[in-house]
Amino acid sequence: MNGHEIAYLDDVGLRLGNTIILRQAKLSLEPGEKVGLLGPNGSGKTTLLRIIATLLQPTSGTGAVLGAEIGTQDVYAIRNRIVMVGHLPGLWPELTLGENTELVARLSGRSPEVAADALAQVGLARASERRADQSSKGMLRRAELARALILEPTLLLLDEAHAGLDAEAIGMVDTIANRVVAGGGAVMLVSHEPDRLNVHRSVQLVDGTLEMVS
Amino acid sequence: MTIVRNRWLEIATVAIIGVSLFRSMTVVADVTQGDVQRIMYVHVPSAWLAFLAFMVTMVGSAAWLRTKDQRWDRLAASSAEIGVVFTGLAIVAGMIWAKPVWGQFWTWEPRLVTTALLFFIYLGYLALRRAVIDPVQRARRAAIMGIVAAVQIPIVYYSVNWWRSLHQPSSARSIDTPLRITLLLGVVAFTFAYAVLLRRRLELARLEEELDAKRFEQSQSVAGADITVPSLASHPHD
Amino acid sequence: MTFWRQVYEVARKDLLVESRTAEVALMTAPFGAAALILIPLAIGTDAPLLSQLGPGLYWIVVLLFGMLVILRKSAVDGQAQRDLVRLLGIEPAAAFAGATVATSALVLFFEVALGPILIALYNPELRGWPWLFVILPLVATGMGLLGTIASGVTTSIGTRTSLTPLLIVPLSLPLLMGATQALEGLRLGRGIVPWLILLFAVDLALAVSGVLAARPLEEAVT
Repeated sequence: MNGHEIAYLDDVGLRLGNTIILRQAKLSLEPGEKVGLLGPNGSGKTTLLRIIATLLQPTSGTGAVLGAEIGTQDVYAIRNRIVMVGHLPGLWPELTLGENTELVARLSGRSPEVAADALAQVGLARASERRADQSSKGMLRRAELARALILEPTLLLLDEAHAGLDAEAIGMVDTIANRVVAGGGAVMLVSHEPDRLNVHRSVQLVDGTLEMVS
Repeated sequence: MTIVRNRWLEIATVAIIGVSLFRSMTVVADVTQGDVQRIMYVHVPSAWLAFLAFMVTMVGSAAWLRTKDQRWDRLAASSAEIGVVFTGLAIVAGMIWAKPVWGQFWTWEPRLVTTALLFFIYLGYLALRRAVIDPVQRARRAAIMGIVAAVQIPIVYYSVNWWRSLHQPSSARSIDTPLRITLLLGVVAFTFAYAVLLRRRLELARLEEELDAKRFEQSQSVAGADITVPSLASHPHD
Repeated sequence: MTFWRQVYEVARKDLLVESRTAEVALMTAPFGAAALILIPLAIGTDAPLLSQLGPGLYWIVVLLFGMLVILRKSAVDGQAQRDLVRLLGIEPAAAFAGATVATSALVLFFEVALGPILIALYNPELRGWPWLFVILPLVATGMGLLGTIASGVTTSIGTRTSLTPLLIVPLSLPLLMGATQALEGLRLGRGIVPWLILLFAVDLALAVSGVLAARPLEEAVT
């Protein structure tokens, strides 16, 4: 703990009813780092990601994200510097890709034009009139990456970072991740395919706790 | 280990219920209604307890939100379970009383209507608790619902009261002292009964949680450990 | 972004999604209208009877079928959408208020849509009808508030379509009383203001409860 980390977790545990999902998880994300999160299905990677996103409170342990201690009211102030692209698309199915992206711009206090620009950058300019529930998984993922472009986060969390993306789009993920990192932020990418990850280091979730991967 | 430390509360409760019962049966009967009126000594105290139990649930809810101490949630839940029983009893007793006296099972009297609504509020509260698996989520959601309901109950009562006063002259019957004392005795007896039941229920809840904790300790399994390497081999050239 | 801007954006989002499904306009409202048509077939088509019972039946339909407005698909956000709203830094109280505004607006729409059916089929005496401009919104707001609180508490519970109405209906009695008695009062030339104050008091109590519960509720629904 040096006070400059983007995020750190100290002996964090999560227990849901009678199931232990995480225990004694230690993690430190420094500015400028890209970290991979590996582990088999159901090992709690998504849960860990949500804890780092301050969306879920651990049942034990401490931590801080962007200077705000987890579990306190301080997290409300820093949340808008985090972007998480989760398992399921953070899009409203009945709205078009354009409307969804515009919504993100509006809800974050930005002008709607920023949305069209971001969609173009991820190659969805011509798909902006398509409803989200009529778009392919790859398109939805790209639309979510557009969100990362609009919000310019300090902490970017990507669950199943490469799922459903073609080579071009995977390149996009790397570009956006690099951008975040260049700005002094940090990125955590979850993946089942460690060889595709372009990261500085990786950690693996084993038995509810995190281990370094060489 | 004895489940309840001492039995003075139970003994006192049985005693006071006995006294109350005796008194209810022997006190002078109502001039107009006759013996049937005696059921009031069950109906009114039950209704009183129904509302008291909900107030305890509300206090437990508020205290849990403040302290996050599981014991408050236990109190709220236990009180609600007991409360729903007293509410049901109050309604049934009310119906038994109403039929001979007024010719119909239901009188749209404000307290009766509010008690009936309280019954449904309890059912909703308990149904909500039952539907949530995680104990902390359950406590939180139930607490919020408990407080919102408690704030609305007085408004519900006043609105029915108001409505009733417009449509029917209030049949405010004054109640003579000997009957009033009997009623008070009934209320005290039922309050003791509530306390006994609450204490037992709380104890039961505490033991259930202890059992859960012990089971959990013994089977310390991490979620991911339930998943093993599949035995289905992959043959890429098949 | 100011608090009220957040409220506006959340409400706008809800109504935009609803405009795609058009559930309230094309399904719930016709369903309510069908109910109003069925009732006389069950209780008798005697004109004076219907004229007298009409307003009460109308409010019952608004109350019970209003549940469907509260439970509409466009009001149900999945976890990914909820996470997104939280991470965008939307104040929980603003999200609550925005959702309430949207639901209240749709209940109001429902009330207005059913109005002509009530008048056409039941021919009620609507003396002092300008007061409806106050009564309808007050009831709609109360339903919106109750609905948003109850929906929040039953998020991601499988049986919520049954549980939510059970939670709401007993607590909505004062709204029912206020609405029906206000119209009765107008018809009989009695006072209406006390009932309006009741409606307002209910709305105020629910609004305060809801705003205070917004943050704990958000934490309860992970």
